[in-house]
Amino acid sequence: MPYRRLITQKPFLTLGLVVAAWLFVPAAMKTFARASFFELTAPVTVAADYARVLQEYWGLRLHSNHELIEAGRDLARLNASYELAVSRNNEMQAEITRLESLLRLPSFASYRYEHARVARRDFSGWWQRIVIRKGRNYGIAVNAPVVFTGGVVGKVTEVYATTAVVELITSPNVRLVGVVEGDDRPFSFQGGINPTLGPARGVVEHVPLDLFAAATAPKRLVTAGFGGVFPPGLTIGQITSLEPSSDGLFKTGEVKLDDRLGSLTEVTVLVPLNPE
Amino acid sequence: MRGIITLFATLLVLWALVAQVNHALADGHVYLFPGALFVTYAALMFSLPAGLAVTLLAGTVCDANSAAAFGTHALLFAATHTVIFHLRPRLPREDTIGRIVVALLANLGLFLVFSFIQVARSPAPSAAWGRLLVDLLCSQIFLALIAPWFFALQHRALVLARIEREALDA
Repeated sequence: MPYRRLITQKPFLTLGLVVAAWLFVPAAMKTFARASFFELTAPVTVAADYARVLQEYWGLRLHSNHELIEAGRDLARLNASYELAVSRNNEMQAEITRLESLLRLPSFASYRYEHARVARRDFSGWWQRIVIRKGRNYGIAVNAPVVFTGGVVGKVTEVYATTAVVELITSPNVRLVGVVEGDDRPFSFQGGINPTLGPARGVVEHVPLDLFAAATAPKRLVTAGFGGVFPPGLTIGQITSLEPSSDGLFKTGEVKLDDRLGSLTEVTVLVPLNPE
Repeated sequence: MRGIITLFATLLVLWALVAQVNHALADGHVYLFPGALFVTYAALMFSLPAGLAVTLLAGTVCDANSAAAFGTHALLFAATHTVIFHLRPRLPREDTIGRIVVALLANLGLFLVFSFIQVARSPAPSAAWGRLLVDLLCSQIFLALIAPWFFALQHRALVLARIEREALDA
């Protein structure tokens, strides 16, 4: 009888052995296994993205010459205004360098801009990540900030041979130090509210009591530039509400994040030039 | 061994397909989780060691591509596999409808357990549940739609690899 009982419980005994074995596997081996299995699936992710690029290319080939000429004309106009902005930027950069040497200030961290295509978006209710098509082969480092035209995207959390994983600011795992534009008092931001078919939102905590924001008069939240990897002044989102916290010492509130974060196709990784 | 590799290959196809669908749905903040499909066929048709090996491999692939602690998918899949394997003498495992019902129930359990593990990290857990319930509903519909095709794919792959039925269940 006990033998028969043991036979019926065999699956659970096996599961117990698997769990026990898992607990005793060294962390280094788990890290190696994770990287190996990610690299095993990376070609699938990259190949699917190449197929999408090809699809877009053939889609664009269907446009008429007239449409292409119009697009070219619009691009030429944009390029002209960007060239003006670049020359102005260079002048301001030279002025900053002159003032830094004059006042003996420590210079801002310098970055190299590495543009990368988004190969896969993984936006569950539990986490939000993207896989980009550049990794160690382009010198991408863990914790490197990732941005796009609308501001902060997130930061690199895993780097592999030809791909890297970016955790988005909409993810509950990402915390940042932010300030309201024009104010220098820092407070904390955390992502994590992602309703279906609605814009992603985050939460701000420890906001000074004299700051006010509402849906009709939102405040722009930007990176503070200290205590983290992000340079100052990058847009995080718009603070749409601020309420006194339960202890009454600070305020807490909601931040509306950029709608385009869910449909990113290209991002820019800021690779530090002098990593510490 | 050939059976394990063949079934694992079909699970990689499923993973790739689901990853592409989720990529396309990201803009609408909808996410599909058909975790039970990585488990059901192996648990119903394979012997315990071979089925568990396939399930653990599939779980490890899901873990490598997620932000969850490494091993979360693998151990949850293994636990689901064990329960289904234990109950399989009483389940209609040859019938496609029966397999789909098993997969739907297993997916419901997996999704809820996984959500309870992950939702604690959210700054507003109560707000996160609305999104998770929509994801669960979409996942169940998606699973019910693709399960017949996927079970047929797994069966056909094993036939093509000339895996005998008795060898699976031995």
